[in-house]
This record gives sequence, structure tokens and C-alpha cells, in this order.
Amino acid sequence: MDTAAHPRELTRSRPSRGRLFSERTWTIFLFLLPTVVFLSIFVVWPIISSFRLSFFEWDGINPTKDPVGLENWSRLLHDGIFWKAFRNNLVVVSLSLLVQMPLGMGLAILLEQGEKLFVFKIFKTVYFFPMLMSSVAIGILFKYIYDPVFGIINPALETVGLDAWTRSWLGDTGVALYAVIAVICWQYTPFYMILFLAALRGIPEDLKDAALIDGATEPRYYRSIALPLMQGTLRTAMILSLIGSLKYFDLIWVMTEGGPSNASELMATYMYKKAFPSFEMGYGSAVASAMFIIVMVIAIVSQTLTRRFETEV
Amino acid sequence: MNTRKLANNTVLIAIGLVWLVVSGAPFYFMAMTGFKERFELFSGDVFAFPQNPTFTNYKEVLTGGSFFTYVQNSVLIVFVSVGLILVISSMAAYVFARMKFILNRPLFGLVIAGLVIPVHITLIPVYLFTRDIGLYDSLWALLGPYVAFNLPLSIFILTEFMRGIPREMEEAAYIDGAGPIRTFLRIMLPLSMPGLATLAIYNSVTLWNEFVFAFVLITSPKNQPLPLAIWEYQGQYSMNIPAILSVLTLSALPLVLIYIVGQEKVLRGMMAGALK
Amino acid sequence: MRKALILVLVVAMLIGGGVVSARQEKSITFWHIQNTGDGPMLIQQAVDRYMADNPDVNVEVVPMQNDPYKTRIRTAMGAGDAPCIFLSWGGGPLYEYVKADQVLDLTDYMNADDYKDHFVPASLSNVTFDGKIYGVPVENTSVAVIFYNKAIFADLGLEPPTTWDELLAVSQTLIDNGISPFSLANKTKWTSSMYYMYLVDRIAGPEVFASAANRTGGSFEDPAFVQAGQMIQDLVEMGAFNEGFNGLDYDTGQGRMLIYAGQAAMELMGSWEIGNFLSENPDFYAEDLGIIPFPAVEGGAGDPTDVVGTVGDNYYSISPTCEYPDEAFALLQYVIDDESVAARIESGRVPPVKGVSEMIEEPMLKQIVEIVENAASVQLWYDQYLPPELGEVHKDTMQALFGLEITPEEAAQQQEAAVAEYFGE
Repeated sequence: MDTAAHPRELTRSRPSRGRLFSERTWTIFLFLLPTVVFLSIFVVWPIISSFRLSFFEWDGINPTKDPVGLENWSRLLHDGIFWKAFRNNLVVVSLSLLVQMPLGMGLAILLEQGEKLFVFKIFKTVYFFPMLMSSVAIGILFKYIYDPVFGIINPALETVGLDAWTRSWLGDTGVALYAVIAVICWQYTPFYMILFLAALRGIPEDLKDAALIDGATEPRYYRSIALPLMQGTLRTAMILSLIGSLKYFDLIWVMTEGGPSNASELMATYMYKKAFPSFEMGYGSAVASAMFIIVMVIAIVSQTLTRRFETEV
Repeated sequence: MNTRKLANNTVLIAIGLVWLVVSGAPFYFMAMTGFKERFELFSGDVFAFPQNPTFTNYKEVLTGGSFFTYVQNSVLIVFVSVGLILVISSMAAYVFARMKFILNRPLFGLVIAGLVIPVHITLIPVYLFTRDIGLYDSLWALLGPYVAFNLPLSIFILTEFMRGIPREMEEAAYIDGAGPIRTFLRIMLPLSMPGLATLAIYNSVTLWNEFVFAFVLITSPKNQPLPLAIWEYQGQYSMNIPAILSVLTLSALPLVLIYIVGQEKVLRGMMAGALK
Repeated sequence: MRKALILVLVVAMLIGGGVVSARQEKSITFWHIQNTGDGPMLIQQAVDRYMADNPDVNVEVVPMQNDPYKTRIRTAMGAGDAPCIFLSWGGGPLYEYVKADQVLDLTDYMNADDYKDHFVPASLSNVTFDGKIYGVPVENTSVAVIFYNKAIFADLGLEPPTTWDELLAVSQTLIDNGISPFSLANKTKWTSSMYYMYLVDRIAGPEVFASAANRTGGSFEDPAFVQAGQMIQDLVEMGAFNEGFNGLDYDTGQGRMLIYAGQAAMELMGSWEIGNFLSENPDFYAEDLGIIPFPAVEGGAGDPTDVVGTVGDNYYSISPTCEYPDEAFALLQYVIDDESVAARIESGRVPPVKGVSEMIEEPMLKQIVEIVENAASVQLWYDQYLPPELGEVHKDTMQALFGLEITPEEAAQQQEAAVAEYFGE
């Protein structure tokens, strides 16, 4: 995939190459300009600006901003709720990985096995539905589904005799985070299902037939032949899940607003709360900047660990 | 052999049905409750069919309020944003895929880094910037963030796609005297159509469902896109769960219908970035 | 290709439809949060009458959800994009806006033709700062009272409690019969604050909060706050609230659902709830609903006639960026003219104008008027009295206190620490 791998670089031999303003130079400049402009204004500059604002105290309305030095940052280091939000983010990341991947794989295998049966066409169609709804709509829907009295989870549990399992899913500090994660998994598992299904189908038929003729059982085929062949896909999936999990906001905001008592607080919801309802723009910016640092560190570490981009870019 | 196969299939279908319930029950609850009367939820089984199915809720949402204004806003902003994303990212991808210059790899690396940046950390400055340039509470305030945050993935995918296009045709064009811009317009763009289509679907779905920027940058109902509006509906239909659920059903319907009609295309589009 | 063309045409049609809108000379935006029950209609009727009389003015009315509004208005003000007319509850947050030059001084308008004499004097105190008036009281007299289901009480042979001990006894009987004594939707947080405010007032009177919040020698670590927290936790522990209250949203009506379903017997809530009951479930309102004042606490120093709430709940103010302040004020006068007052009473409200008690026939509203008229003091909601940052701290503390995650002492300390820090002590 490296451009250097193609010796027949198209514009190399162009005679006008030496000229300062060749059409080629202009093309590079003009074609990259919009990208650079958009990314600078809406991504790069805001990140820098967040860092700058984090050294001020400002309510967003008053014309003056008070410089407070490192005060916001030292407050952040001692802010138990921020660290709790950080831990919650880690819980979301690990549970997303631990639940979505195996479940997605299981469903992919199920769909592959049932390929020849007509009902599985319907199954596959319906299985993907959760991915089609917006997180906001899903959040609102599950707020009612989780309602302890008028929802559907508790009555369903009671119907099957699991009365002891009923609880107030979003109102219990011990359960709220997991209740929200369950919804996240419900929403995103279909994504991994389709991803893995495509990878399974990408394995040449004869490889599978050969394995089965050699006496391998189907479970053994998946374990020792299919899985190793899918390594690349698995790595992609893990990175996507990792990065995606650090970005959750909509669903949590709609369902719990990070509550009760910060039990389901994530870095993003905490940042929003500080910056907007409390109007502590400076402190909110410090939270945002810290979040940026954390995400970058995690991204770099995971990239080094899996080397996805290095092999493909 | 045959009985074993039958048993096998029975087990498969049984497991399949379990997950069908898990993924489908919420949708059933949502669509069904929309046909119920306001207080029907309090008494009796939540899974039960509506006692006297009523279209009042759906009708009220469709005729009573501004549902179509929200749909219109969403269509407009998604259409314009996706158009811009496709134009800008195909231009950048062409440069990254085909033009060798010293900053190619570093710049491409920076764009890729944009993939991991959570949008939330830019909310405060983007909000302040938007209000400074006087776009606050306008649908167009969303255009900048929408385009910017979807460029990295689009450029990444299109660059990969263009690198996969054989060079023979370009070389032929080059020999005919075509410059880079003409080569891009006449050859690269048409050959990239499948990639662009995938991206169009992916970005449309993402933006159709976007919430955070709309939430922070827009207040007036007449300017709200659909996801923000359905959140606001909660207040408008306070205490009327069937009405709120009918709003949700109606908001999900367009995508579900498009998906049922063009399943494979939509799937490929939504998996953009993960599937090649 | 043809498909693409059709798509473009469809989109163009959708866009085209939105662009065409009538232009009028003067335009006024009007934000309110009267989005439940008859609220939107009450405002719209007055606005329509105004527009009929003033065809050159176009009023855009924007109803919003209560809690998101609080963020929205600040965001808009920060953007210099505040609506012409906006609402507040008076008190701390409005004063912050006043200090940031975001509110028009309405004193001259209010004094013209002695217009301000229309209103109950108590209603203007929350919007008067440094002798200037910054808001017009309109919507309601909102004080927190206990709503209860008379049918349930009658079935179980219960009498409405007048003291805290009676309330505990009534609660126990309800629990024994499988009914939640109180319905509480506390994702919203301020809903639980009402219990705390009342208990503090009943235990020690209104001065203890005033002196703590104004930093005139008081403290949130005063024993009254700790005791109130303890009484609340005792109530939670005995099971006096519905399950999962910290996850339920008041704004979407999750609290009233339990009352309608007969699963909870009482609700401590602002008297605006009368209007909601009336419009959502008129049968229930007519047959089963009753109200009582918050009970006295045995041995407490507070006057049991004291109420928590506000006279004039929702005040409307005009922002200085409004291009047509005269028209905006005239519009507000329509919103609280005789016809609007009559309509508000009709839909279960008590507008803060003089002589309202003679106009009210509805027994429950009469009861509210009596409670307010007899009150020795009216304590404004803490979260509206305090500046927004501290209001958030107070509300968070309440949710944690009710969730039994912090002790009453910790609740007191956290609030005291936040207030002390805010005032730079």
C-alpha cells in the first residue's frame, strides 16, 4: 500500500517538475486546502484552544476571563468524580470488548451455519436493526424499557420466575453503569457480527472442506483454522471498539445523564456538565484537554501493540 | 444423517430465535406501544396488543407538530454535508494516493490521527467559535463540524480505494497530455464511484443520527434536526409514553425501510472503515 | 443517473418548502417552559390576541423542557443570542444575568400607570435587585405541598398526616399494604430537594438557610441541615419512596405515572402539579386527589405555616439585545391581562395578581391561596436562590443523600465547602 512501492510514479517524469508553480504543485496545494482548512478550524485549533482555556476561570457570559494558572489542572488531579468517570470509561471499554466481540463472533458463526435456511435471512435482517437507530432514540426507548414499574425488563423477569433479579436498573448506583453498557452492547454487537461474518465468508471454501474431510469437527475448524485466519479482522475490530468506547456520550446522556450520583459518569458527560449546565468553561476545558491526552495515549499504545496502521498505510 | 441434520437445524433455529427476541423485542415494544392509549401502559401487560389500536399518536406526530420540519432540516444538512465531504475527501485522497511529495506521509498520518479524536473535546471551542461568527442556532452551524469530523475516515477509505485502482488508464491519459486535474475528473472520480457510494451511505447514516453538536449549537425548534427534536419531544409529550414511542418509531422508519430495500448496499456502507 | 436526478429534485423540493416563510416587520422571540398540560395553549392564546391587535409584530413562541432550558438560556446569552423574552425563577440565577448586563431594567415599565400594583407584593421580591425590577411575575403561585390519593387513604382508613410522626405512621401502613408512600422522580434532583428544604425550615426556621447562603454567620453544617438529612435517610430506609427513584425523570412524567397507577399514595411537589393532574387525568383529579401542607416536625423551631416555593413562578424578563422592548413588554401585559388570568385560573393555576383569591372557586386552588396567605414565610427553592454553580452542588448532594451514598454529615460538609469556596473564604 505504500506509495513508494509503485515505481511508476505518475508525475515523476513530467518535464515541468523543476518549475516552482507547476500544475502538479498547484493541484497538491488546492486539493489539500479544503481538508486542511476544515481540520484546522474544527479539530486542531479547538484542541489548542481547549488547552488555553483550561488556564482560565470563565463563566461563558462575562466579557472577562480570569487567568488562574494551573488551578484547574490541580483541581482535576484531585477531582474524585473525574477519576471515577475515567474508571467508568475503562469499564465501558473492557466490557465492550469482552461482550461485543465474542457475542458478535457467536452470531456470525450462527449465521454462517444457518446460511442455507431461509429463516436466517430474516434473522440477519432483524439482528442488524439496532445499528439503524440513533443513539438518542435508543436511549429514550431503553429509559422506558428499564422503568422499574412500567418497563419491560422487570415484568419479563417476573414472567419467567426471576423475581429476585428485578431491580431499578437506572436508579441503582451499583447497576446503572452496567445497565447502560448492556444497551451499548445491544446496539453495537450487530456491527461486529457483520464484520466477522464477512471475514468467515472470506475464508476459501476448499480450506474448510479439506479440514472437515480430514476429520476436524466444526468447532475445531472455527477454533484452529478460521480464528487464526481472521486475526487481521479481529485486530481491526478491537481498535474500532476501543476508540469507539472512549467516545460514548449520547446514549449515557439521554439515559442517565451520568447519574445517579455520578455512577455512570463518563469523561465526556462530565466535561459537558462542567462546561454547560454549571458554566465553568475553564474547568470544562481542563477536563476536555485531559480527555484528549488520555485518548491519545491509549490510541498510541494500542496502535503500537497491534500495528494496524503501520502495516496498511 | 438426515435426522442429525434436522436436529442440527432445530438447535440453530432455536438459538437464532433467542437472539431474534433480544434484538427485536425493543422494536416490537416501541412500535406496538405507539398504538396504545395514554394510560393503557399503567394497567395490564406491556407486551399485550393494544386493546383498541389507535392511530391518534402517529397522526398527531405527523400532523400536529413540526415533524416534517425536522425531517427537512435533517435531510438538508445531511445532504449538503455529505456532498462536501465527498468532494473534499476525494480531492485529498487523490493527492495522498497518487502524488509523491515530501509532506505526503506526515500529512496523511495527521489526518488518520483525526480518527481517534473524540468530538466532545472540541465542543467548548466550537461552541464559542460558532457564536463568534454569528452562526449560533442556525442549521448551518453544524456544517463545519459535520464535515470536519467525517473527513478523516472518508479520506482514509478513499485513499486506500484509489491506491487499489490500476494505473494503466491514468498513464494512457497522461500520454494524451492530460494534467493531474483532468486525470482526476475524467478517470479517478468515475473509477472511485463504488468507494464514494459506500462513503455516502456511511456518512449519511452517521450524520442522520448525530446528536451532540446539534444539542450544543442549536436551540430553536425550527432549526433542529431530527435527533435533537426527538429528544425535545420528550418534554412536549411529557407523560404520554405512547406518543413519544410513536415519534421514535417514525424517526427510525426511513432508515429501516431503506435498509430492507437495499440491505447489502446499506450494510457495506455502514461497515465502511471496517470492511474493505 | 436518473435516480440521482430524482434524488436531487426531491431534496430541492424539501429545501424549497422551508425557505418560503412570511416576513413581518418586527419579530419577537419568546421562550417559555410551560410545556405541560394547558401551558402552551395559555401562552399561545395571549400571543395570538396580541398579534391580532398588532399585525406588524411577529412573535415566535418556543416552548422548552424545564431542565434543558436552564442550560439553553445561558448558552444563548453567552452567544449574544438571547431571546427577546425569557423566563426565570428570580433569585440567584437571575441576579447573575443582571450582573452580566443580560437583563433589561423594567422598573420604568412597571411604574408606568402603577402597573406593578396589579401584582401581589410578595411576587416582586424575587426579581427586585438594588431597588430595580427585572421581571414580570406571570404564571403561577407555586408552593410545594403534599398531593395524596384520597381513595387509597380511605381504603386503608388513614388520615392525612399533620405531624412528622403521623407521616411516619401513615407511611408504615402504606408500605405494609404494598404501596409506596411517596412517588419521587429524582434523576431530576430538585424534586428531592423539596423534602430537605421543608425539613430544615420546620426544624429551625427560615433564617438558618438564609444566614448560611448569604454568609451572614450561618453554615450548612448547622445541626438543622444534618438532622434534616438524617430524617430523610430514615424515610428512605423504611422504604417510603418508590423503587429506583434516582433513575426516574420528572420532566417526562415518570413520577406521576406511579400516582395514576395507584402504586404510590403521595407526592411532594410544587402546586403547578395541579394543572398537570387536571389536564392529564381529569377523573383522577376530580375524584381522588387531595392536598395537605407539609407536616409539622415535633419540637421544631420553625413555623408550620411556612412554605417552600415562589409567588410568581415563572417570571418573564426582557433581554437588552431585544430590538423591540416596548412591544415585548406590551406582549407580556397580554400574557397576564384579565383574560389570561381567568384562563390560568381555569386551568388550575394561581396567577400572582391582587384579588385572585376572590376569583378562584376551585377548592384545591383556594386551598393553595389560603396556605400562601397564611404562611409566615415563603422560602424560595434553594437551587434557584443559590448561584447556578452552587445550585448544581446542592442538587447533586440531594441525589447522593437520598441514594444513601453519603451520610447527612457529609452532605452538610460538601455543601458548606462548596459555598465557602464560592465566596472565597
